Amino acid sequence: MRANFIFSEVWIGLRRNLTMTIAVIVTVAVGMALLGVGLMINSQVSRLTSYWTDKVELSVYLCTDKSPFPACKNRGAVTEAEKTSLKQTIQAMPDVERVEFEDQAQAYKNFQESDSNKLLLSVTRVEDMPESFRVKLKDPDKAAAVADSLSGQPAVSRIINQRVLLDSVFGFMGKLRNMALGVAILMVFAATLLIGNTVRLSAYNRRRETGIMRLVGASNIYIQLPFVMEGLIAGLIGGVFAGVLLIITKILVFEGIQMYMQNPIGWDTVAGVITLTMVIGVLICVLASFITLRRYLRV
Amino acid sequence: MIHFDNVTKVYANQNRPALDHVSVDVDKGEFVFLVGPSGSGKSTFLRLVLKEERPNSGSIHVAGKDLARLSNFKVPHLRRRIGCVFQDFRLLPNKNVYENVAFALEVIGKPRRFIRKVVPEVIELVGLEGKAHRMPEELSGGEQQRVAMARAFVNRPMILLADEPTGNIDPATSIGIMKVLDRINRTGTTVLMATHDAAIVDSMRKRVVELEDGKIVRDQSRGVYGQAY
Repeated sequence: MRANFIFSEVWIGLRRNLTMTIAVIVTVAVGMALLGVGLMINSQVSRLTSYWTDKVELSVYLCTDKSPFPACKNRGAVTEAEKTSLKQTIQAMPDVERVEFEDQAQAYKNFQESDSNKLLLSVTRVEDMPESFRVKLKDPDKAAAVADSLSGQPAVSRIINQRVLLDSVFGFMGKLRNMALGVAILMVFAATLLIGNTVRLSAYNRRRETGIMRLVGASNIYIQLPFVMEGLIAGLIGGVFAGVLLIITKILVFEGIQMYMQNPIGWDTVAGVITLTMVIGVLICVLASFITLRRYLRV
Repeated sequence: MIHFDNVTKVYANQNRPALDHVSVDVDKGEFVFLVGPSGSGKSTFLRLVLKEERPNSGSIHVAGKDLARLSNFKVPHLRRRIGCVFQDFRLLPNKNVYENVAFALEVIGKPRRFIRKVVPEVIELVGLEGKAHRMPEELSGGEQQRVAMARAFVNRPMILLADEPTGNIDPATSIGIMKVLDRINRTGTTVLMATHDAAIVDSMRKRVVELEDGKIVRDQSRGVYGQAY
């Protein structure tokens, strides 16, 4: 096998089909970048899930003097006796790890820190804030069951399951991931067709050479290799571009949301994703060239 | 060297066979003319030898190999032992004489040192010494056919197939081409030449196999093109 012969043939082939080659590179780059983004979102979601599952709490809000919730209709604020009995009930539940009480002053402080609506802040008084129990569970998956059994208790106005809030965030990220993967599949499909066309053009351009090669007894691999290499090189360049796009995505998007989400994906994950997308990109290109060759290059 | 036993070839979508129960033996070192009108089956015969086509029935042996049993994987190796020359030369227009001949060795993976040694030798053998760096378009038809013959012969094949090699060349130049073919034949290479050219066949006095409608109608050693001409 004479490497420089193959490479000069590949170089000529790529240059002759420059526009097609560029189209292949761009499609592969965008397709593989989207695939990578999908994988990165996926790994981000699983990291967030494992980070948050042992931090999820149930918030059991108690009635205040003028609670608008139906459970507090026709009754006043929660009494000390009710608080004590409720705390005992919660602590007695087998799934509960610990219970903490949040009084009105603490709730007001937390509210001031988390809400930026000035007008709302200025009219809210400490007495408006509800008291609550913060319930930490042994098994976060039991949250719904515990919430159900507590919702009928006297003086309980409302129960917020943080798990539900997280699930909606994860659900949104899951949709983003599916969209990225869906578009990636379309791009891969387009790339396959483009490569097929490129190889067809290339085979037509070089039909004289391949005809003579066949005639003088060049082996199939010698005849086909330049075409497959063209696909491989286009796929590789596209993969490099996809890698650059993924690094930019990591810096601009994933580092950007770091302030909202603890535990962002690290560079090791990005490196893994880039390697995987490159391998897939190159494999698709080589496979597409090879399959088209069988059709357009009689050997 | 070439052995056809009761070979029939019918192309798809055609009723009449291109070759009809043909049996022929060509020995090593022979020079054989394959003559007959257009459509008589000459080209089909050559394509069968190269295993570009498969016969519908009958068996073909080339260089000791049964082509029916030769796997596709090994066909390139068969073709390395067969040189081919065509009416239309089939040279690469963007390569010069030397590169055109060297191409045939490059693509079968021969080392460059070997190529540098044998290509000038074969260019000299076909009478093109001093023209190694000309481009095909700068050469006459006869000279281009010499390049094609150099390319066909450079790997020292056991068999040389020539399909109307003088078809595009004037009679005076054709004589030169035939001299080269004769020279190649004298090195021990079996030459099988399909032709229309009665003058050439008559002047060479070699074995003549005549095909008509896919059948062999004459097989004559030291023959002429035909009584009718």
